[in-house]
Amino acid sequence: MLKNAILTLLSLAMAIGLGGYSVWYALNAQDGVGAIRIGQWTAFPEVGTLAADPYSKARVAREGVLALGRAEGLAFVAERDDAGEPLKRECAYTIEDGYPTARFWTLYAADQSLGVIDTGKPRQAALQSYEVLRQPDNSVVISVGNRPAPGNWLLTGGFGKMYFVLTFYDTPIASSTGLSDVTLPRILKAGCDA
Amino acid sequence: MRSLLHALILGLLGAGIVHIVVLFLVPEFSERDAWSRLAMASDLYKMTRLDAEAGGAPVVKSVDPLFYAAACRFDLADGLVRIKAPGDVPFWSASVYDSSGHNLYSFNDHNANGEKLDTVVLTPAQMIDVRRDLPEDLQGAIFVEAPIEEGIFVVRAFVPDESWKPIVSRFLEQSACELQDY
Repeated sequence: MLKNAILTLLSLAMAIGLGGYSVWYALNAQDGVGAIRIGQWTAFPEVGTLAADPYSKARVAREGVLALGRAEGLAFVAERDDAGEPLKRECAYTIEDGYPTARFWTLYAADQSLGVIDTGKPRQAALQSYEVLRQPDNSVVISVGNRPAPGNWLLTGGFGKMYFVLTFYDTPIASSTGLSDVTLPRILKAGCDA
Repeated sequence: MRSLLHALILGLLGAGIVHIVVLFLVPEFSERDAWSRLAMASDLYKMTRLDAEAGGAPVVKSVDPLFYAAACRFDLADGLVRIKAPGDVPFWSASVYDSSGHNLYSFNDHNANGEKLDTVVLTPAQMIDVRRDLPEDLQGAIFVEAPIEEGIFVVRAFVPDESWKPIVSRFLEQSACELQDY
């Protein structure tokens, strides 16, 4: 009798413990269902729509996100450079090559919660396409780091993990048909502070 | 031994069921979703800034740092809601969300009449009523039919650089979100 009670309790504890933990784990993982990867960049075009999967829906509700609509824009997040190393705030990077069609784009350096990093200076860790200098072939080269650089400079600083968030506004790639042949800029590491 | 195995398998099976049940209950019971956060910050039909510029922590996180945004909550059971904003900014976009934060409809300044934000959100039933006799001053508005009662309207505006900050702030502060008589 006691054995039965203990076994029942064990099953119940397992069910509730494992079930609850697995949901918590799945919702905290950065990667998810419905992601589109282009190079090192990841986007979730369906997040925040009625067509989203249950995991995205739960994440949206838990984090209070109001996702960009299709006519507004599409955000890509990168957490690694082209060599596959995680992005770090103490390192300098070069972001180069072309960008897909859009009215304009913005690029900012973000922390774990995808908010812009605090540089501690009046200059924000953000750039947008109307203010960048272009190469003769219309591509853009951006230097990322905590030391001023000629050309386009994205200020970062501090230590720890970093993400790049690249958002295209009023763009045809937000409608899923355009996503297949989109190229996004490459992220190359230029060096690190020891 | 066999009954222990039995209990373990039952536990795993239960874990799967609990996983699915919890997953579907999170959106229902979340107190941290956008609607609850906005409800704590302000009343219905009141435009609230979402970015941190207005002071304090941002109400809803993860807004592009080069953007300002404002949102208002509405309840279509009270009637149609009309959102207007004056002035010219480089880019604005707007979205209608239901109360659980799903984006139902979005558009930007290129979709609007004369690039002015003037929108009416209504239910399909209200749309039939309004269509029968369209008031003069609603002629230029964008009508968004949404099969919901409670919802959130968000306006986002681009701030290309420092000098645009006051202009974009004024654009959002002068935007109105109110019940419309018809």
